[in-house]
Amino acid sequence: MRSTRALSALLLLCSALAGCASQAGSEDAAEYPSEDVRLLVPYSAGGPTDIAARALGRYMESELGRPVVVENLPGASGANSYVELISSEPDGHTLSMTALPTAVLNYLANDVGYTREDFAPVGVVTQVPSGIVVPAGSPHQDLESLFAAARQDPQAISVGTPGATNTHAAETRRITQLYDVPLTVVPFEGATQVQTALLGGNVSAGFINLSQDALPAIESGDLRVLAVGSREPLPYVDAPTLVELGYPELVQSTTTFGVLAPAGTPEEIVQRLEEILRNASEDEAVVEALDPRYVPEKFIGSDGLADLFVETEETFRDVVGD
Amino acid sequence: MGILDGVGQGLAVALQPTNLLYVFIGVLIGTVIGVLPGLGPTATIALLLPLTYTIEPATAVILLAGIYYGSMYGGTITSVLLRLPGEAASVVTTFDGYQMAKHGRAGPALGIAAVGSFIGGVLAVVGLILLAPPLADLAVSFGPPEYVALTALGILMVTYLGSGSPLKSLSMAALGLLLATVGQDPITGTTRFTFGQVSLFDGVDFVAVAMGLFGVGEILHSLERTEKVHAVTQKIKHIWPTRQDFRDSAGAIGRGSVLGFVIGVLPGGGGVISSLASYALEKRRAKDPSRFGKGAIQGVAGPETANNASSTSAFIPLLTLGIPANVVLALIFGALLVQGITPGPQLITEEPEVFWGVIASMLIGNLMLLALNIPLVGVFVQLLRVRAGILAAFALVVTMAGVFSVNNDIFDMWVVLVFGVIGWLMKKTGFEPGPLVLAFVLGSIMERAFRQSMLLSGGSLDIFVTRPLSGGLLAVMAMVIVISFLAARRRRAVFEHVEPEDEDTDDVDAEQERAAGGDDSDGDSGRDGGTPKVAPLAAHRPAEGDPGAEAPRGGGDSGVPTPPPNEGRR
Repeated sequence: MRSTRALSALLLLCSALAGCASQAGSEDAAEYPSEDVRLLVPYSAGGPTDIAARALGRYMESELGRPVVVENLPGASGANSYVELISSEPDGHTLSMTALPTAVLNYLANDVGYTREDFAPVGVVTQVPSGIVVPAGSPHQDLESLFAAARQDPQAISVGTPGATNTHAAETRRITQLYDVPLTVVPFEGATQVQTALLGGNVSAGFINLSQDALPAIESGDLRVLAVGSREPLPYVDAPTLVELGYPELVQSTTTFGVLAPAGTPEEIVQRLEEILRNASEDEAVVEALDPRYVPEKFIGSDGLADLFVETEETFRDVVGD
Repeated sequence: MGILDGVGQGLAVALQPTNLLYVFIGVLIGTVIGVLPGLGPTATIALLLPLTYTIEPATAVILLAGIYYGSMYGGTITSVLLRLPGEAASVVTTFDGYQMAKHGRAGPALGIAAVGSFIGGVLAVVGLILLAPPLADLAVSFGPPEYVALTALGILMVTYLGSGSPLKSLSMAALGLLLATVGQDPITGTTRFTFGQVSLFDGVDFVAVAMGLFGVGEILHSLERTEKVHAVTQKIKHIWPTRQDFRDSAGAIGRGSVLGFVIGVLPGGGGVISSLASYALEKRRAKDPSRFGKGAIQGVAGPETANNASSTSAFIPLLTLGIPANVVLALIFGALLVQGITPGPQLITEEPEVFWGVIASMLIGNLMLLALNIPLVGVFVQLLRVRAGILAAFALVVTMAGVFSVNNDIFDMWVVLVFGVIGWLMKKTGFEPGPLVLAFVLGSIMERAFRQSMLLSGGSLDIFVTRPLSGGLLAVMAMVIVISFLAARRRRAVFEHVEPEDEDTDDVDAEQERAAGGDDSDGDSGRDGGTPKVAPLAAHRPAEGDPGAEAPRGGGDSGVPTPPPNEGRR
């Protein structure tokens, strides 16, 4: 009991110091937070977004000095959560995790009740790159060989993707559009099913996130990465980037996890939250929980995330829905 | 990983104190709801599903599986003492079990059922351990066309095996398929039938539908029944069967284990079909078949063994292919999905603690059940005194709170209520919810797989027949259809005979039974146990007399009121 009290006193002190550090001079921001903060998670409990949110929530709690309640509102590719976010008071007490480009593709493809205009982006938490993979037994040792086979026979190469409305399906269609490589997109339900289809030889290649659950199959050699979709080469995956292979346009497959506030949230509060995210991205315990491989080396804040929304929208406006 | 390593790892998981506790809770709940004629495993698992989301995936499945096979033990008690099946699979036990009880041999009837269930359960676990890993290896090569064939076969079987008329079952399956199309298109991502409701983007929530149809529908239906249950409260003596009893039932238990195991693996199998098949087999093999229906211990031992074996082996298609064989397994499938685990060929390598932990827990659970059932039968019988109204109100509260907690979405609560009313109306009109729910689950798998197949083949249907596995499965499906037509014709022919004897082949016989009195294994008709006018007693018919002869009269539509066989004979 006593130790809890001591701890909470310490937390209060910390938050007071943090508050001073990021003092923006406004009354609103000084009083924030005046109640518990809700952090919505557009995906179910136990998933990677949820785990990231909980790690982040603990850190925010210590910084804000108020409980941060992580709430899962899964469904409709995140739309449930975003709709709840934009219908709440824009005072910084309701925030939501987000995943790009799914959040954008969602409103480009369907009338889900929001667009990027309804959000005030706070900052980026993690970025998970993607890769084009083939099973160990595939005859294709490099991307060129795979694409050559596709050009020769337009029906030959099928690419499994973890879903219909995520970045991988859209990016694969962009390959076909921009570089005239006929690829058949075969959407599955989740990356596990894509991996099974690859191992069973039912699709020729897969375009998947190189997330924690995919890396073991790559390290064991069951899957071979032909190319990664990040701008820079990845230290933990031995494969060239699509840019290096001569496809400079193909840099949109990375999934970005960030934090959003509803549009209209006071600038000072957004700045304060952005600052907390920046500090979190340097906090050893938080980074460890998020997985250091996926925390961006250079912090991407509110403006950066806003730019990413615009860029994603422009990239995918023409490929969805066909 | 070798099988021994796997079992070792599984035991390590299953023996953790938390998991031991949950397997105990599971089998205890299972026994209790098995005893109560109002609730079956399907309704109970549907109601408890949301409560499992906060616990570890392995623990959740351990609990739910415990409820399932636990109810197979519990159902026996009510069947033997009251001639009311506590759950569907125990219908058959009422034939001879109750007669044994009338002759003062309730103890040995319950004892041999518990021992048989234990042996059947353990043998099925061993079969599961030996068969599942190689099947999972094979299943990795299953592509979209194979999944189309498998799911189509599953839907076909569940409609054929339904207890109502095939037409009603088929129409329910069609409704299930239609419901599965609500929500985002799996291939293009555009929305269908959502009417602008964001809550419908992911389709109608499976858990909410199942809870409504099975849980709330059942509760409403049970409230309509007012007749009192008269429990046999006399002391039950000599539960441990005599040496002679064991000698008499050894063969029945052995055959029941194998038969139950095989039927459990089939889509739509398990539960009451396995016990009916075992009863028919025992009767045919008996030197003096006339003893059946008058207290033959083989008539208790065989079916009870078979239904427990089938409830275990039904896990094989779920854990290796990601395809639920019956409605209870469909619910467990749903539990895993919400936990972020997609059951499939990769489960054994990616979630070994779930796969092996659940299997190992079944060994422990069966042991617990044996220990629970033999000394505590008297205690469980007292449960029959709980008033249905209290139980119903409690269950309804748990349901509504539970379904809200899944997605934190009020919309889902409305779905439960709407489907609760639909489920109640279906009960009243003789439509089975089983085919609907299974078709709903399999429908989305089938649609995705079908369209993936079309993408892979460039739109050519040849892909389904040119691949050996899917071609083979489709051939099996064609065979099922042909056989059932032949069986129907033969049944008509047999009906003309004055004294039809067992000249039919095993297959045709079993087929007739399914068509005539089978249930879709989900524990459905058993929950009708309180009303001796509906399904379960119609299901008496085929097994009561000769299957071949009785089928056309008792079959057709089990909703038709049929007098209980014993009364009819008087």
